[in-house]
Amino acid sequence: MRPEDAIDRLQLDEREVRRRRDYFQVTDEDLARLASHRDLATRHNDEVIEALYQFILGHPESRAFFPDAATVARVKQLQRRYFLGLFQGRCDPAYAEDRVRVGATHETIRMPARLYMGAYAVYLELIRAMFERELEPAAARAAYASAQRLVAFDMALAMDTYVAAAEDTIVRHQAAVRELSTPVIRVFDRILLLPLVGTIDTARAQQVMETLLTRVAEEQARVVIIDISGVPVVDTKVAEHMIMTTNAVRLLGAKTVVAGISPVVAKTIVQLGISLTALETRGRLQDAITLALELTGRAPAGRQA
Amino acid sequence: MAPTEAAEAKVLTREALPVRSEDDVVLVRRRARELAQRRGFDGFAQAAITTATSEIVRNALVHGGGGEATLEELDRGGRAGVRLTCRDEGPGVLDLERALRGGFSVTGTLGLGLSGARRLVDEFEVRSAPGAGTTVVLTKWARR
Ligand SMILES: Nc1ncnc2c1ncn2[C@@H]1O[C@H](COP(=O)(O)OP(=O)(O)O)[C@@H](O)[C@H]1O
Ligand SMILES: [Mg+2]
Repeated sequence: MRPEDAIDRLQLDEREVRRRRDYFQVTDEDLARLASHRDLATRHNDEVIEALYQFILGHPESRAFFPDAATVARVKQLQRRYFLGLFQGRCDPAYAEDRVRVGATHETIRMPARLYMGAYAVYLELIRAMFERELEPAAARAAYASAQRLVAFDMALAMDTYVAAAEDTIVRHQAAVRELSTPVIRVFDRILLLPLVGTIDTARAQQVMETLLTRVAEEQARVVIIDISGVPVVDTKVAEHMIMTTNAVRLLGAKTVVAGISPVVAKTIVQLGISLTALETRGRLQDAITLALELTGRAPAGRQA
Repeated sequence: MAPTEAAEAKVLTREALPVRSEDDVVLVRRRARELAQRRGFDGFAQAAITTATSEIVRNALVHGGGGEATLEELDRGGRAGVRLTCRDEGPGVLDLERALRGGFSVTGTLGLGLSGARRLVDEFEVRSAPGAGTTVVLTKWARR
């Protein structure tokens, strides 16, 4: 997921950042305390990041994500900035966006969340060691507690970035499946066939209708055959969809024939009390095609009747 | 009433499913069909309980703002049944009598869900009060 998209999705405005900070209890006091150790952090910046990457690159699983020296150099540079970010004395939307950017970068290279989170644990440990070496015990404890809260805040943003990316993937796949499952087939000149398959939920119903109407106009179709033999449950929602589609298709000057109505579906429709008399219906697809040919003046006249 | 009809319905299995999204509607009705199949319902009876479930659970979502659906496999004197209890905490059905007559809808749709579901099943009960939500209980028995 692109960092800008992730930032967009998490909607990190003042209020949202405030809400998150409250939850993690990141106080202004924490931020001020960390800022007071900025010089210390700057001095130890290289050393902390080197140690972190010793861990990351020392582990075969996480090392695989850093193929060459140039990549390592680049991410180390990013991490140095990230580390100093903890000691800037602020935790506002700009800070949060910066954190999301780092999370998105790891997600983009498809680093598994567990490896990413594992590195955070090491990171915290390094910060603790740094404070303990340089500060009086009480001051070290306080500084570390503040850092812990802020890093937890950061980790949540990283997790949310991963989740948002996963959700996006699902939505994209759904859209792809929808498109795939809305095939409008031209069976003869000016006759289109729409085989409905699967569940017709609201989003798909809209998509199906739009795709169909576009094709009717493009092909100057006269008849549209909707085959519902692949629809597992024909309820009032599906009936409404068929009626609406028929009405819209009619506005474009074409007729609709519904095919693939099984005996079970016929009985169910009648029991529901749905009247489909406004629609031409046929049991078998073959009969619907014959009717469509007649309606477009192509079947031998008088053969029926 | 035949003696077997008077026998108590035994609940063989029971499961509760959330009704929060359109996907949930699909999951609940799919489960209803599975239970009907397992209980040996014929194709018509399977479609009846599945379609009625679809209508009632969607109503709970659309009109009731979501709720919970409970599906039960029943046995009454050797006769197999499937029961749906669908509960929501929505505004309740405003004009129940009219809604049950059919062809009445507040959303500009067909308005045949409630009346149609009632015709599709063997037992049908709506409990609803303004502001106190809606509970629909419906049962379909396998043909002997
Ligand atoms: N669970 C519910 N909560 C509140 N109102 C409901 C509920 N179920 C049905 N209704 C009311 O009954 C009417 C008829 O329902 P239904 O026959 O399913 O038609 P539709 O859903 O198409 O409107 C609805 O328009 C609604 O006003
Ligand atoms: Mg309805």
